[in-house]
Amino acid sequence: MSETERFAHRLALLGGVEFSTTDLEIITSEIAEMERILTELEEFAHDTPWVSLQTQPIEKKIGP
Amino acid sequence: MISDFLEADLTDLSWLISTRELSSTEVVTAAIERLKRLEPKLNAFITVLEEQARAAAKAADDEIAHGRHRGPLHGIPITIKDMFATSGVRTTGASKILLDWVPNFDAHIVERLDAAGAILIGKTNLDEFGHGGTSTLSHFGPVHNPWNTERIAGGSSGGSAAAVAARIGPLSYGTETGSSVRRPASYCGIVGFKPTFGIISRYGSFRGAWSQDHVGIFARSVKDVALGLDATAGYDSRDPSSVQQNSPTYASHLDGNVKGLRLAVPRRFLEGTESAVKEAFEVALKTLAEAGCVIDDLDIPELSYAAMTSMITSSAESAGINRRWFRECHQDFVPHVARGLAVGMTITASEYLTVQRARHRIREALQQAYKKIDLIVSPTTPRVAPPISDGVRGNGDNTHHASNNHSNLLRFPSMLGLPGCSVPCGMTPDEMPIGMQLIGSWFSDQTVLNAGLAYQSLTDWHRQKPLVD
Repeated sequence: MSETERFAHRLALLGGVEFSTTDLEIITSEIAEMERILTELEEFAHDTPWVSLQTQPIEKKIGP
Repeated sequence: MISDFLEADLTDLSWLISTRELSSTEVVTAAIERLKRLEPKLNAFITVLEEQARAAAKAADDEIAHGRHRGPLHGIPITIKDMFATSGVRTTGASKILLDWVPNFDAHIVERLDAAGAILIGKTNLDEFGHGGTSTLSHFGPVHNPWNTERIAGGSSGGSAAAVAARIGPLSYGTETGSSVRRPASYCGIVGFKPTFGIISRYGSFRGAWSQDHVGIFARSVKDVALGLDATAGYDSRDPSSVQQNSPTYASHLDGNVKGLRLAVPRRFLEGTESAVKEAFEVALKTLAEAGCVIDDLDIPELSYAAMTSMITSSAESAGINRRWFRECHQDFVPHVARGLAVGMTITASEYLTVQRARHRIREALQQAYKKIDLIVSPTTPRVAPPISDGVRGNGDNTHHASNNHSNLLRFPSMLGLPGCSVPCGMTPDEMPIGMQLIGSWFSDQTVLNAGLAYQSLTDWHRQKPLVD
């Protein structure tokens, strides 16, 4: 997938919200930066267990 | 005379009010007059509760006169960040979106403060919904630093920090998602404390990022912070992260005993620190050593990833929180905040979960570190408050690379829910305050406060006063 297509996929997640061309340029540049960060973090997090925290029911008692 | 008793800290003011040497009405009136006089310079407030506060002060005086003194906060003028819902009083989050929103309920801390008899005199300015580190991203304009009104107060709880520094009430409450209590406290020369995640309920507070949001406290002394913590900590079933705990007694357990306390300095992250900040910090370390602390260097390389992990986490969570408003009225957000939300909206679930794995790895590294040490200590910020004209980049944060940038030290405590306290530790030649942060392990809030108290008992940086008058 080309960079343009990838960004188009990302911007589709904005749900139709429209920005000015200037704002879109800033947003797209931030997205590019974020993608680079995510690559770095993925490598850093490799072999780390997936986080699995369940939210417990509040004030629920078990047993008699 | 007015400035004399506004100079008193919470502990002294409380004693004067309880013994009726001073009335709450006198103190509250003086605080409001000072607020009104300084507000054109500071822009620290969004809403001032003059009539309501005067009535509450009179009621407090009547109660105390009848022998019903509720405790240390009774009759004391306080302020809160405009992130907290107040029944019958508009609550804006510094946003145009909620310009006229008047809730019909109180946030947890507002309930607690009301029960303690504190007098709310105003709601303070901030970065919109807590999204920022400068307090310039407000619909109501930027907060100005009382030490130099051309500089930022720091954010996002800048109005609260500026108010306490300017002696507009001895106590204020803010929130912290990244560094929004410790940073403004450092920039404004006061104490800022953020407890362990779950110690103070966030019920009724706007969310910045639910897994990183904390309520925090500003005061001029650590002892006053502890009193403010006692009044607001405690279990609340309305916040799913609230911790089951006994009635808090942090203030009465403050002893300032730090003999043998193991402090660690993560030096690799101090590389870009300004020389005046570095010098003040080294002197502060010597003071802590003289008090009995054992100080050593400690390398935690995983912290290099803290800032970006925290940034992506909060970006994704805040996009989720603001999803509806973003779609319905994104043009009403401050433009910088709207663009940040847009980026957060594009983070996928699998990416968010990958970032949580990174966060887990950093948490494990810290858990190992805290087996060998009691506190991590560093300058709170690598430089003093920058000029307002520098905009959002003035803080010099770098959250875009795994690096030795100091922003990692600012970000990791909130990301991991650790208790942290910033205390004033020096002054630059041009009279701008410098802060030192003490970061403890989970639920070692008392240890953090004790270390802060020990430091303040040997120094008087927290007694320095800005010349904003």
